Amino acid sequence: MAAVVLGTTASHAETAALPVTEIASGIFVHNGVHEEASAANEDAIANIGFIIGDETVAVIDPGGSFAEGSALRAAIRARTDQPIRYVILTHVHPDHIFGAAAFRDDHPDFVGHAKLPGALAQRGDYYVRRLHSALGDEASGTEIVVPTVLVSDRLDLDLGHRRLTLRAHGPAHTDNDLTIFDQKTRTLWLADLLFVDRIPVIDGSLVGWLEQLDELTAIPADRAVPGHGPVSVPWPAAAEPERRYLEAVAHDTRAAIRSGIGIANAYRQVANSERGNWLLFDDYHPRNVTASYKELEWE
Amino acid sequence: MGMNPAMLCRAALVLLLLGLAPPGPARAEHTEAERMARWADLRHAIFGDRVVEDAGDLVAIDAPIRAEDAAIVPVAIRVAETLAPETRGLYLIIDNNPSPLAAHLVLGPIADAREISTRVRIDDYTYLHAVVETADGRLYAAARFIKAAGGCSAPAGKDQALALERLGKMKLSLADRSRPDEPIRAKLLISHPNSSGLQMDQVTRNYIPADFMQTLDVTYNGEQVFRLESDIAISEDPSFNFSFRPADPAAAGVIKAEILDSSQRRFGQSWPVPAAAQM
Repeated sequence: MAAVVLGTTASHAETAALPVTEIASGIFVHNGVHEEASAANEDAIANIGFIIGDETVAVIDPGGSFAEGSALRAAIRARTDQPIRYVILTHVHPDHIFGAAAFRDDHPDFVGHAKLPGALAQRGDYYVRRLHSALGDEASGTEIVVPTVLVSDRLDLDLGHRRLTLRAHGPAHTDNDLTIFDQKTRTLWLADLLFVDRIPVIDGSLVGWLEQLDELTAIPADRAVPGHGPVSVPWPAAAEPERRYLEAVAHDTRAAIRSGIGIANAYRQVANSERGNWLLFDDYHPRNVTASYKELEWE
Repeated sequence: MGMNPAMLCRAALVLLLLGLAPPGPARAEHTEAERMARWADLRHAIFGDRVVEDAGDLVAIDAPIRAEDAAIVPVAIRVAETLAPETRGLYLIIDNNPSPLAAHLVLGPIADAREISTRVRIDDYTYLHAVVETADGRLYAAARFIKAAGGCSAPAGKDQALALERLGKMKLSLADRSRPDEPIRAKLLISHPNSSGLQMDQVTRNYIPADFMQTLDVTYNGEQVFRLESDIAISEDPSFNFSFRPADPAAAGVIKAEILDSSQRRFGQSWPVPAAAQM
């Protein structure tokens, strides 16, 4: 492969590299903190990273801000000069994809679910404003990047003797979730279809998520990368707490609807047994129940 | 809050009708005096010089003090037993929303006004006001303060494909009714984005057009239960709990609901109501 001239700007050069862990040969993951987005954490709250093939690099989620995206780029450049050919955007949430603009000078394909552009149209403006209010100056440079390659079912990407299989899922965590399977190391990158330790966020379909979990847990993978939690977990064992929580929410919310409990109060008696099992439970659980109630009351 | 031209026109019209300047963007920075002044302005804009009495115990608003989701805030209006039979109209006003008059209900003679509930969007810390209008034209107002913000511009739609597929569909559930002398209690769900037009498409830099339910008519055997006039303040997939006393309590009947939205689409559905079980 010909030598590649890097579009390294001054700001890129000064950026400190994001700490990453090599969880399997050529797969590097940054461990997001279990916090809400803030100026101090630069919205680096999700697990993000990259995979290096023999010829090119694929970023899997560029991070939660331009600042985090730039630091991730520095981490890649500390390890390889190969071109960054793909930036995969696993779903619409800001903590995963708002760093995309930091990779524009690399001219990669920005790869997303076929429904990602629609979701960005609906929510992008709101997310950008919210990020600026949470991060202040630390949000500068952050902007929406629209995917240039869309996946509606499956797509294989070749990084040079390394094939990644991308799969577009039905509504689950969001209505635009992508997962990535690395054939070489049998690593299943689940992004936010898998939460470990941090409470899952239901922003697509509760029923759909449980269906997707059935299919995903049938995939024989040696390890999985959750969107939040440790950088590498055993598969499918690591899905069990999430499945248990989602099933409890579904069961108890249906019971609340049946007994005529209103949407505002339902969360008080839904999945209370799960409170001690999750970080940020009180921050997200009531909204999860509200979303589930709205979904399940149509059954 | 930014607005597209269409929204601006509409909002300007609303504000013009109300004779008001838009509320300032500062959240929770309004003083109590400012809140009172705003309500005085709104009251004047909606009810003119008519006397609006303090409802005291006659009307109550039930809503969470702090909303978990500002785009889906459940609000119930309760009217006392003594006032309910005389109640012909209900106004729900969300003082600091961009379009404050969230709902106006005209109640038919068979409606039971004792409890009516829906879900609304709330854009800023605000007072809610519920005003009951009686058959002889008296007005009674109740107030409740609520802490919620961002509901009008919050993104809607967790599953866009489903929202399109289900547009206009309705679901009605009837509460158990063991005796004919009890009112019929129903919960109506309407699948509609009821979008505010306050979300910008970041890619095209255009605003997503407002698309909301303007009127909802509910009848029972052709008799009016209520007519609702509303706009963007009602949450996505509008939901209403209401009740009514049929003219012939022992007979079966049909509930019918019809909406007209801002895109001039009409959707309607009807449901049979079985006769109440005899004692």
